Amino acid sequence: MSNVLIKAEGISKLYRLGSLDANTVKEEIRFWLNKKRLMDSNNDEHISRKHIWALRNIDFELEKGEVMGLIGRNGAGKSTLLKIISRIVLPTSGRIRGRGRSSSLLEVGTGFHRELTGRENIFLNGHILGMKKKEIEKKFDEIVDFSGVGQFLDTPVKRYSSGMYVRLAFAVAAHLDPEILILDEVLAVGDAAFQKKCIDKMREISSQNGKTILFVSHNMQSLRNLCQRVMVLEHGEIADIGKPETVIPSYLKNTPQQKLRQEFVDSKSAPGNSSIRIKKIALNPEYIGDSKCVDTRTPLHIYTEFWYQGLESDQLRLCIRLFNEANDCVFEIHSSSAHYKNGLINASCTIPGDFLNDGSYFISIFFLKNRILPIFQYESCLSFNVEDYRPDEDWHGKRMGAVRPDFPLRVQEISHIQTRQSALSANGKLIEYP
Amino acid sequence: MKKDKEWDWEVRPDEGWFRLQFGELIQYKDLMLSFVRRDIIASYQQTILGPLWVFLQPMLTTLVYFVIFSRIAHLSTDGIPPFLFYLPGSIIWTYFSDCLNATMNTFTQNALLFSKVYFPRLIAPLSTILFQSFRLSIQLLLFLAVYLAYFFFHQAANPSAWIIILPMLVSITACFGLGLGLLISVFTARYRDLDNILQIIIRLFMFATPVVYPISMVPEKYQLLFWLNPLTAVIETFRAIFFTHHTIDITHLLWSAGSAVTILFAGLILFRKREIKVMDTI
Repeated sequence: MSNVLIKAEGISKLYRLGSLDANTVKEEIRFWLNKKRLMDSNNDEHISRKHIWALRNIDFELEKGEVMGLIGRNGAGKSTLLKIISRIVLPTSGRIRGRGRSSSLLEVGTGFHRELTGRENIFLNGHILGMKKKEIEKKFDEIVDFSGVGQFLDTPVKRYSSGMYVRLAFAVAAHLDPEILILDEVLAVGDAAFQKKCIDKMREISSQNGKTILFVSHNMQSLRNLCQRVMVLEHGEIADIGKPETVIPSYLKNTPQQKLRQEFVDSKSAPGNSSIRIKKIALNPEYIGDSKCVDTRTPLHIYTEFWYQGLESDQLRLCIRLFNEANDCVFEIHSSSAHYKNGLINASCTIPGDFLNDGSYFISIFFLKNRILPIFQYESCLSFNVEDYRPDEDWHGKRMGAVRPDFPLRVQEISHIQTRQSALSANGKLIEYP
Repeated sequence: MKKDKEWDWEVRPDEGWFRLQFGELIQYKDLMLSFVRRDIIASYQQTILGPLWVFLQPMLTTLVYFVIFSRIAHLSTDGIPPFLFYLPGSIIWTYFSDCLNATMNTFTQNALLFSKVYFPRLIAPLSTILFQSFRLSIQLLLFLAVYLAYFFFHQAANPSAWIIILPMLVSITACFGLGLGLLISVFTARYRDLDNILQIIIRLFMFATPVVYPISMVPEKYQLLFWLNPLTAVIETFRAIFFTHHTIDITHLLWSAGSAVTILFAGLILFRKREIKVMDTI
C-alpha cells in the first residue's frame, strides 16, 4: 500500500450559468441528449454559451503528512476543487479516491445558531464537522480555553461580538482530528494575535501529528512556512505545481491585479485633458537578490512622463497618493509648485525598501494648478502587492500598522544582576552590585 | 462513497441507485440529535408562551373546526363528541403537513449548510421528522387528557384494546410525510415554482382527507378513491380505536401502511441518488 492518501484523476466540473427560466427545461433536455458527446469530446464548441468549465482535468496526489497549498485568482476553481474533495458537489467527470477520515473547513462557524448558547454551539458545530459527542466532551475544556470566551459560555451567541464568535468557531475547528484536513482561507479571521495562535496550531497539527492538509490561502508567508508543495490553479486547470520557493514567485509575477506600468503612444487618446496627457506611468521595483517579486524589502521607483500644456503664468504641482487595500491613504507626496514649459515632462519618486507593510496598494496621481486647483487626476493608475519577507523570524502573522518601517530598535544591557554563585569572582571574592 | 479494497472512499460523477447506507446515518446520529435539540430550543426562543404553543395550536385549530364545521355547517361527527372528533384529525393532519412542509424544502432551507460541509443530507429531513414527532407526542398527551376528561365526566368514550396500534398510525403518517417530502425536495431544489403550487395542493389535500368530516359522509361510489389516501385509514382508525362502536378496517389500514412505506422507499432512493447533485442548482 502506497503512502498516497488522496488521488484525484481527471476531475472536471461543468457549471451552468445564468438563471432558471422557461427556456431552461428545453435546454436541459437538449443538454442531456448531448451529454455523452460533450463529455467525450471535452470540446468547448459543443457546449452552449450557458455552461462554463470550472475545473478541467485536474490530477494530483496528496501523500500522508503532506501539506499542500492551493492558490489562484478569484474564479480559478479553488473553491470548486475543495468542494468536490469535500463531497459537497460532484464532479462532472473524473474521480477522487482517498483513505482515512477527512474533514473540511470551508467556512468558520458553519451551522452556528444565533439563539443557542456558546456551549450548545460547540456541540452543534462539532457534530456538523463530523466529531462524535465523546470526542467533543473530551476536548471541551481545551476548546473553551483556546477560544477565550469561557465566561460567556452560557450566553446565546447572538450577543457575542463578531470577534468572539469567530474565535469560538475557530476553536471548535482547530480541535478536529481527521487524517486529512481541507481548509479554505480560514486563517484570514480574527485579530493578529488570534491569527498567530491559529497558524501555530496549524503548524502543530501538520508537524507533530503528521496530518495531511490541503488549504487555500492568500497569505504567501504562511504558504511558504507551512507547505511542502503549492498548486496554482488558473481557469480551472493546474498552471503550476511544486515547491513553494519556485512556484510562489512565478505566480506573483503573473498576478494581473498588479498594474506596474501603463504607456500611451498617442497623445490624443491618452488619459488626460487639454492640459495634461499621460504618456507613461510605471512602478519599477528594485528587486533584491534573486527574488523576482516585490516584498517588504524592495525599494519602489515611481516614474511618470506626461505632456503638459498650460499658460506661462501657471504653476504646476504633482501629488502622489498611496492607498492600501482598505482604501486608506497611507501617504501623500507633493512636488513643489513651479513653472514648466509646455511639452513632455517627467517626474519620479522612490518609496524606500523596508517601509511598506505587506499587502496590496494602489497609487493615484493628481495634477494641481497654482498649488491647489486640481486640473487632472488619474486614480488607481498603478497597483501592486507587497509580499511579506521575514527570513528568520518565528512569528509570521501580519504585522500591525499601515507601514512597517525598519527603524532600529536597540536593546542594551545596562547592568547585570547575578545569582550569588556566579557572582563569585575567580578569586572567590564576592562582587557586590548596587 | 464506495468501499474498495485499497481506498476508503471515492467521489465519482454519479451516485448509484439503492445507495441507502444506513450505517453512515448511524455514524451521524449525534448530529441528528443535536439538530433536533437546536430546533426545539430555537422554536420557542423569544416567545412569551414558549412551549405552550405546542398545546395551543391544536386546541385553537380544533376550536375553529368546531365552530365552523360543527356549529355552523352542521357536518356529522359520526356520533363522536365534536371536540374529540376534530382533535385527533387536526393533530394527525398538522403532523403530516408539518413533516411534509419541512422536508420538501430540505435543500433550499439548508442551502448554506449544505454548501459548506458534508454529512449525509438525509440527516436534515430525519431530524425534522424527529422534531415534529416530539411535538406530536406532546399533542397526543393533550388528546389523552381531553379524552380522559370525557371518559370520566361524560362516559362518552370507549377505548378499545386496539389502542396499541397507535404507534403504527403515527409511523404511517411519518413515513408518508417524509417519503413524499423527500421525493418533492429533489424537485423543489431546482424548480422553486413548485413550492407555490404545492402549498395550494396541500391545503386542498386536507379536504380530501377526513379531517373535518367522517368517511361515512362520502358517497359510496367515491369512497374507494378516498381510501387510496393513506391518511384516510390513519385518521379513521385513530377515531375507531377510541370509540369502540366503530369497526377497524384492517384491509384499508394495511393498504395505507403498504403505500406509505413504498413512498418512503421511493423517496429515500431518489433522495440518496440526487442529494449531492442537486447542489449545483441551488
